[in-house]
Amino acid sequence: MDTVLKVAAVHHRYGSTVALDSVDLQLGAGECVALLGPNGAGKTTLVDIVTGLRRCQQGTVAVTGGDPVRAATRRALGVVQQHSGVPRALQVEEVVRGAAIRAGAPRGAVGPVLAEVGLTQLARRRVTLLSGGQQQRLQLAMALVNDPSLLVLDEPTTGLDAAARRDFWERLAARRDRGAGVLLTTHQLDEAAAVADRVVVLAHGRVVAADTPAGLVARLPDRVVSARTGYAPADAITIDGTVAVRQDADGRLVVTTTQPETLVRALLAADPELDDLRIESAGLEQAVLALSGQLTAPPQEMTMMEVAR
Amino acid sequence: MTAPIAEPEARTTTGGTDWRTRRVLRNEVTEELRAVLREPTTLFFSAAMPVGFFALFVGLWGAETDGVTTVGTAMLATFGAFGVVGVCLLTPGIGIAEDRERGWLRVKRVSATPLPITLAAKVFAAVPHACAVLLAMTAISAVTGTLHLDTVSWIRLVAALVVGGLPFALLGIAVGFLASPNGATAVLMAVFIPSAVASGLWMPLEMLPAGVQQVAPWLPTYHLAQLALAQMDGRLGLEHAAALLAFAALAAGAATVAYRHAR
Repeated sequence: MDTVLKVAAVHHRYGSTVALDSVDLQLGAGECVALLGPNGAGKTTLVDIVTGLRRCQQGTVAVTGGDPVRAATRRALGVVQQHSGVPRALQVEEVVRGAAIRAGAPRGAVGPVLAEVGLTQLARRRVTLLSGGQQQRLQLAMALVNDPSLLVLDEPTTGLDAAARRDFWERLAARRDRGAGVLLTTHQLDEAAAVADRVVVLAHGRVVAADTPAGLVARLPDRVVSARTGYAPADAITIDGTVAVRQDADGRLVVTTTQPETLVRALLAADPELDDLRIESAGLEQAVLALSGQLTAPPQEMTMMEVAR
Repeated sequence: MTAPIAEPEARTTTGGTDWRTRRVLRNEVTEELRAVLREPTTLFFSAAMPVGFFALFVGLWGAETDGVTTVGTAMLATFGAFGVVGVCLLTPGIGIAEDRERGWLRVKRVSATPLPITLAAKVFAAVPHACAVLLAMTAISAVTGTLHLDTVSWIRLVAALVVGGLPFALLGIAVGFLASPNGATAVLMAVFIPSAVASGLWMPLEMLPAGVQQVAPWLPTYHLAQLALAQMDGRLGLEHAAALLAFAALAAGAATVAYRHAR
């Protein structure tokens, strides 16, 4: 797999504040890497450096082998931003034609890319009359018109409804199949889990984890099972996989376990009348929060019906 | 330290890249003009106001003469300077501030086109806009019978005003990089209107207080108007051109510092 983005030992600081500290990242053709982490982790600085908006102070950044600070290298880049601010008075086709000209793309590239993102019928419509989803597709058309080797998507689906988000990713899939690498930043972690081949977690400017979404989730083996039951805490300790047991003030049994299925079977066998069973399952969000030292959000909860499925 | 470069810079001097740069520049200028023409409310301060003032003042005093020519003809130079400075100062300056706030400038910066080309386009887009203002004033002057200027002198007048007005675009860009759209409008209007009045663009300097008359030669707007008046008399007005050149150097420096600060 060809490397379209290589970030090696990048350091960057603002005054005495370290924004990036020895960051390494490699992205291959057709690969999607999600860059995740809390606010202030350094994601924006890294994206700015990769897109040539900022020159890295130390280390090496190469997009298809070139320095992104150089305009010529940026011909290999396509960028979708959260807010593009496209002039409202321009028409869809004019905007994409402008992007093609700025990127040095051939004249004939505009029509096919409008068709690719489903905007052919709206080519003469002014930007101000487009919906949020259509404006995002317009941004995608601007990013794709030069057939980029690397797409940088900075919060690309923020503010879109579920259907528009799905549509966005479906349209992008074909480009990935043709070899475009994707660097994605998003706060929609379910989306990152669905589309990213790998996740890189940044915290305090450092890469604290890099793995597949499933691999990151698997790093948190523990699940918390709780229920209103007469089952004795002392008995729960003897069940395989149990890590810790406690009883809440309201009598609720709370068990931390690496084998939630074994525990649930034992609880149901011992107390068929148990009530309000919950399994708190770590998803990607939980994993990212834990890995970045920001574990403050409530974990995802599964209902009894979900357990049964 | 950065990676080795695989491709040549876009602004090299090969024929292909020169052609591409011209294509980019032409597109950027066209985009600028389309945006202005399709949202004409932006033309109020930069076009409607100076042309309206010109029509009012020419209607009141345009037929009077100073012994050489009509006041209406001289007003084409002074109000023309007012109109051109308005276009050059406000349109690119407020445009940059709006592009920055909306994120459009960021889109341009991550593109394969060097940002200076985008900025140059903003300056060049002021040229047809300024010419339109001068044509409107000329038409009003002709209709009211106050225009007494041969074609060559008129062309010299327009050329002097348009070329001499471009340094004001650099000042507008400097403010646009530092202020919000509302802030840029306020700052630029605060510079524009007092400078215009104090330079004798609305009424003859002799009618203004002595203190203002002493300040006027230090203002670039004064030198632009004097350069334009010189073209009507067949003079070159080189001292005024030199003053505008010095102002252009200062404005370019301010624009460069503001651009780097905004990065």
